[in-house]
Amino acid sequence: MDITKLKEMKSVQERVDEAVNKSHAYQADLNAMVSFIDPSEQIENLKHIDPQAPFYGVPVVLKDLVNMKGTVTTGSSGILENYVSPYDATITEKLRAAGAIIIGKSSCDTFGMGGTNMTAWTGPVMNPYDLTRMSGGSSGGSAVLVASGVVPMAIGTDTGDSIRKPASYNNIVGLKPTYGRISRYGVIPYASSLDHVGVFTRNVKDAALSLEVLAGRDDKDMTSSQLPVEAYAKLLNSDLEGKRIGIIQNVIDAIQNRETLNLFKDLCDQLTAKGALVQSIHLDEKLMHAFLPTYYIIANAEATANHANLDGLRFGVLHEGNSMEESMIRSRTAGFGKLLKKRFVIGSYALFTENQEEVFRKAQKVRRLIVEDLKRVLCEVDVVIAPASAQGAPKFDDVSIDQLSSEYLIAENYMALANFSGYPSITVPMGYVDGLPVGVNLTSAAFTEQLLLNVALAVEESTGIKDMIKEPKR
Amino acid sequence: MKRLDVQGFKDLANQLRFSLSDEEANDIKNEFDVLIDQMDLLNKIDTEGVEPMVYPFDEETSFLREDVAIQVLPVQEVLKNAPKEKNGFFVTQKVVG
Repeated sequence: MDITKLKEMKSVQERVDEAVNKSHAYQADLNAMVSFIDPSEQIENLKHIDPQAPFYGVPVVLKDLVNMKGTVTTGSSGILENYVSPYDATITEKLRAAGAIIIGKSSCDTFGMGGTNMTAWTGPVMNPYDLTRMSGGSSGGSAVLVASGVVPMAIGTDTGDSIRKPASYNNIVGLKPTYGRISRYGVIPYASSLDHVGVFTRNVKDAALSLEVLAGRDDKDMTSSQLPVEAYAKLLNSDLEGKRIGIIQNVIDAIQNRETLNLFKDLCDQLTAKGALVQSIHLDEKLMHAFLPTYYIIANAEATANHANLDGLRFGVLHEGNSMEESMIRSRTAGFGKLLKKRFVIGSYALFTENQEEVFRKAQKVRRLIVEDLKRVLCEVDVVIAPASAQGAPKFDDVSIDQLSSEYLIAENYMALANFSGYPSITVPMGYVDGLPVGVNLTSAAFTEQLLLNVALAVEESTGIKDMIKEPKR
Repeated sequence: MKRLDVQGFKDLANQLRFSLSDEEANDIKNEFDVLIDQMDLLNKIDTEGVEPMVYPFDEETSFLREDVAIQVLPVQEVLKNAPKEKNGFFVTQKVVG
């Protein structure tokens, strides 16, 4: 059921109690929560909120990168294990003003830097569809808490595909709006030119409603947009008549799994039957092969700079040495996991004086070409579409994929396109491959969220997959 | 592009103010070999005359407002997260002789 129906069917206390109880009951199987927040004070504060507020008494979860005053915000890292937020992020304020009850912080790859959720300081997050498989990342905790029915909405962040890939693996909706549509103030950054805040829900309508609540100009975030926020949920309309949908043929050609391709073809046939003009489009193949290295270079270089302040001296866990420098080295060495160190090293390598032009600036130039190529295609079609993953969630120990193959470089990593461009992008459930969920991804031009959500709704109606809940079972 | 050996990665980490174990440095070196091959894919792309893209949108979002503080974190709130504090300051080891 969607959030509006949930509010009609159950009392505030019932829905919050149910969410809190499930979050505790599933923790041993999913390991999705980093910290639990006592909701009683927030429920008490509802007396100051209009009962008609969109999230009145609705339990939600924040990714553990989002500050909420008085709660622990670790970024799923070791170095911030003891960090207590001294202020609210703007999205926390907005959720509270809309009546939401925040019941906890969810696990993620450390500082959002990863695609598996296996690098979280509190350990990997399990996929409720198969506990031997990964949730996907970096927003894996939020994804599985929505998928398993703990909360109807959870906050995620997306720097490469960190909302849209876990949404695919967990049979839910994952929306990353346009860059600047939702404020990032108070959200621990990964890479400032690529980071977006977004949401996980179990249906498109709830994603639209959540965007309405979270979007809008924030003077505390200089990248935040001045454009007015539309009534996305109210204006939802799945009419596809005349809508031009472009299949990213490069992605289709790179996918090996026949079941995934068949599911996608069936969906496209249904969209055509609904009146959409579905056609193949081609992005520049050479540029597509460069998506992943371009992303790695830019993201990690920005991350290296963003996290230079983590030293244990002013906040975070201090491991004291004999000098200030030694204290910093000890604190950072003990508080950073292996993958985090690797990413910082890569980022620093790209920023070497001798590499800046050849590596970092080169990646930024390639980024512009990638975005111009997408702009060219979006002059011909309204939305581009492709499977969000080539197959279901991988096993934890799966290292079978060749990292220089087209399947890896294109089919598994193309969604960074929407981070390079800042364009809105959404993953919606598509069907099942070998019994595991696989989603479909749609991307449209900047600030065309309404169009994107409308087409996503048409996809949801075509597949019939919505409001899915998968309780974890051993 | 310059390839680094294990010691090179350790030195780089040291500049970033953390240490790498032998195992971590070896892992990074092995993964870096794949990454360098991936980075070479960039060199196949002609970027002559292309401006670097720093942010998704080139429009400036700067604006002017009255010069008044709109949000201030009290010092005591900030210092609650400090491992050591004294008289409203962070405490660390002496950095000058």
